[in-house]
Amino acid sequence: MQPGARALGTLALAAAAVLGREAETDRAPEVRGWRRRYFRRRCLSVMAVLARRVFDLHHQIPLTWVCLAKLTPHLGEQKRTTASLFCKLTIAAGGGGLEELPLVVSKKCVQELESRANTVHCLPEKQRTSVDGGPLTLEKVVCTLLDMGFSDVHINELLSIQPHASPQQLLDIISEFILLGVNPEPVYVALKKSPQLLKMPVVRVKKRSSYLRKLGLGEGKLKRVLHSCPEIFTMHQRDVDGVIHVLKEKCLFTVQQVTEILYRCPNVLQQDPNELEYKFQYAYFRMGIKHLDIVRTEFLKYSLTKIKQRHIYLERLGRYQTPDKKGQTQIANPLLKDIFRVSEAEFLAKTACSSAEEFVVFKKLLAREEEEVPESSMSKEVEGEEEEEDKDEEEL
Amino acid sequence: MAAPILRGVRELMRLVDFAPVPRRHRHKKKWAATEPKLPASRLALQNFDMTYSVQFGDLWPSIRVSLLSEQKYGALVNNFAAWDHVSAKLKQLSAKDFVSEAVSHWELEAQSGRSSTPPLAYSPNLRCFTFARGDVSRFPPARLGSLGVMDYYLMDAASLLPVLALGLHPGDTVLDLCAAPGGKTLALLQTLCCRNLAANDLSTSRTGRLQKVLQSYVPQDIRERNQVRVTSWDGRKWGELEGDTYDRVLVDVPCTADRHSLYEEENNIFQRSRKKERQMLPMLQMQLLAAGLLATRPGGHVVYSTCSLSHLQNEYVVQGTMELLANQYSIKVQVEDLSYFRELFVDTFCFFQSSQVGELVLPNLTANFGPMYFCRLHRLT
Repeated sequence: MQPGARALGTLALAAAAVLGREAETDRAPEVRGWRRRYFRRRCLSVMAVLARRVFDLHHQIPLTWVCLAKLTPHLGEQKRTTASLFCKLTIAAGGGGLEELPLVVSKKCVQELESRANTVHCLPEKQRTSVDGGPLTLEKVVCTLLDMGFSDVHINELLSIQPHASPQQLLDIISEFILLGVNPEPVYVALKKSPQLLKMPVVRVKKRSSYLRKLGLGEGKLKRVLHSCPEIFTMHQRDVDGVIHVLKEKCLFTVQQVTEILYRCPNVLQQDPNELEYKFQYAYFRMGIKHLDIVRTEFLKYSLTKIKQRHIYLERLGRYQTPDKKGQTQIANPLLKDIFRVSEAEFLAKTACSSAEEFVVFKKLLAREEEEVPESSMSKEVEGEEEEEDKDEEEL
Repeated sequence: MAAPILRGVRELMRLVDFAPVPRRHRHKKKWAATEPKLPASRLALQNFDMTYSVQFGDLWPSIRVSLLSEQKYGALVNNFAAWDHVSAKLKQLSAKDFVSEAVSHWELEAQSGRSSTPPLAYSPNLRCFTFARGDVSRFPPARLGSLGVMDYYLMDAASLLPVLALGLHPGDTVLDLCAAPGGKTLALLQTLCCRNLAANDLSTSRTGRLQKVLQSYVPQDIRERNQVRVTSWDGRKWGELEGDTYDRVLVDVPCTADRHSLYEEENNIFQRSRKKERQMLPMLQMQLLAAGLLATRPGGHVVYSTCSLSHLQNEYVVQGTMELLANQYSIKVQVEDLSYFRELFVDTFCFFQSSQVGELVLPNLTANFGPMYFCRLHRLT
C-alpha cells in the first residue's frame, strides 16, 4: 500500500499521459481495447487510493483495506468481528461522503462475507489488485515489453500464461532473458513451452545465468540453449552440477568441450548422469569415437536406444567396425552423421542398405536381447555346466 | 664323513636343477604375441566375411546380421503325444503349421490349374508350427504330455526340409547316417513311415544325446516295433557294412555349422587347433555321402544336407561325390530338382535363388531360420 499512497500525486499525471498517448498513437484495435480496459481499472484504483488516503487523514480507522483483507482468511472463525469492522468502515466512509463506488463494493462485500465464508478467500485478491497499484505496473510492463520488441499478440499470450503471477515478476524474468542476449521471439517460445519459468524467483534466474556464463555459455550461445532446453533455468542446481561433473570428471572432456557440448546438445542437461556416462563409454570404447568427434557430431544428444539400434545393426551387417588401438579398421566405417543425424528411412537406404522390415524385426530382437542380458548369460552358464556334467558321466 | 657326502649330493642336486637345458630343447618365449588371441567365434566371423562376401555379394550383410541375431524356432508336433490337442494349443499362440499350409495352398493352385504342378514328393504326417514372418515370439519350452512323452520338439524349422525332401513312403527302411543330436531322426520317426530306422553317429556322447531325445519323445513300444537302431560306427564304412540296403538315406554331415560357430566357444570348429580338421571337412563330407549312396538300394533316394552356407561343403561335395561314384563304382546318381520346394515354402523361408544344385535356405531377419542346404539324389543303378 505504501507505493500506492506515494504514487497518489503521480497517478493523475500518468493517467493523463496514457490518455494522451492513446489519443495520439493509432495502435491496433485490440491494443486500444487493452488500453481502455487498463485505463478504466486505473481510474478505479485512483479513486480507491484517494478514498484510502482520506481515511488515513481522518485517522478514524486504523485498519486499512489491505490489512483487513490479509486478516480475514486467517480469522475465519472471527467472521463476526471482521464483519462488524467492515460495518464501521462503511459508516465511516459514508460519513466522509467521498466516492461512492468503492463503498458500494465494500457494502456488497460485507453482505457476502456474512452470508458465505468461502468468498472471504477470493475477496482479498480482488481488493489487492485494485489497491496495490497492480494495473500500473501491468501498463508499464506492456509498454516495456513493447519497447523490448515483443509483438502485441505475444504480450497478450505472455500475460495469459500465468494469470496469477504478478506482472512485475514477468517483466523481471523476461528482461533477464533479454539481457542474456536472447531475442524476444525465442523468449516467447521458451516461456510458452515451459511456463514454470515465470514462477521462479528472479534471484535464481540471475544466479543461474551467471553460472551459465561461467560455464562459457556466452550471450549468443545461451540463446540456443534456452531455445531448445528452457528447463536449464528451472532445473535444480544439483542436477546441473551432476551432469557437468560427469562430463568433466568422468568423461574427461575439457572445459571448452563441455561448453561446446552444452551449446550443441543442451538436452544433455536433462539426461540422467549415469546414463550419460554410459553413453560416453559406449561411444568411446564400443564405437571407438574420440572426445573431439563426440563433441563435433553432437553424439550425446541422441538417445541410447537409437544409438545402440543403429550401431549394432551396422556392426552385425558388417558395415561398421570398432577401430583398433591404432584407430584402424578393415573396412571404411560410414560417417557418424550418416548414421545418427539422418532419418531412419535415409539411414536404411543409404547407410545400412537394408529393408525397413528387417530393421523393425531387428529392433524387436535387440530390445529383447538388452532385456535378457543378465539372464541369458546366467542360463548359458548353467547349460554349460550341465553339458560338462553330461560329458563327465559319459566319460565315466 | 657323512657331512661332506651330503654336501656333495646337495651340490649335485643343485647342479642338476640349474643345469642348462640342452640347446635343442631351448626355445625363446615371445614377449609380444605376433598373432592376437581371438576367440573362435570371432575367427569364424572373419572367415565367413572373407568367403561369403565373395560367394553371396550383396546378400551377405543381410545373412550376416541374421546369423548374429536370435534364430527362430519351429515346434515339431510329437505324433506320439496327443497331437491334435498340442496343435490346438500351438494355434492359440497364433503359430501356424507351415507344412500343411504350404501343401493346401499348393493343392488349391493345382486345382485351379494355374501352374503346371509336378507331383509333390514329400514326407507325410509332419506338423511343424512356426510364427509368421516378422513375428519374433517364442514357443514355451516343451512339456511332458499326458501320454508320458513330450508334446513338441523345438528345432530350427529349416531342419525339417531335408526330411520332407526325403519323401518317405510307408514301409521304407531308412538310414540316418549322422543322426545326433536327434531332431531330424525324430522327424523321420514322426512321418510314421519307417519300417526300420538305423540312426548312426560316430561320437558316443552324441548318440547318448540322441537316445535321450528318443526316450523322451517316442514311447517304448514304438521304439521297439519300429526297430530303431542307434549305433556309433564310422559312417564312412557304411557302404561296406550294409551296401544296397536302404530305401531312403539321410546324410546330414558334420559341417562348419555356421550359426553355431558364431555363438559357441566350446568345440568350435574354427579354433586354431582344429584348422586341419576344418580343412578336411569337405573330404569327410564326400566320403560320408558316398557311403550313404552306396548303402542305398538302386532306385532309392538320398538327401544330403548341411547347416553351412559354404558351397565348398554343399554343391561341390555333391558334384564331387557323383563323379567319384561314377568313376570308381560306376554307379549312376542323379540330382533331383527340388525347386518346387522354393515355391512351396516361400512364405516361411528365404531361399537362395541362384543355387545350381540343391536348395539353400538363407537366414533372414524376418524369417531367421537356417542356414540349411539340402539336395536330393536318386541312385539309378
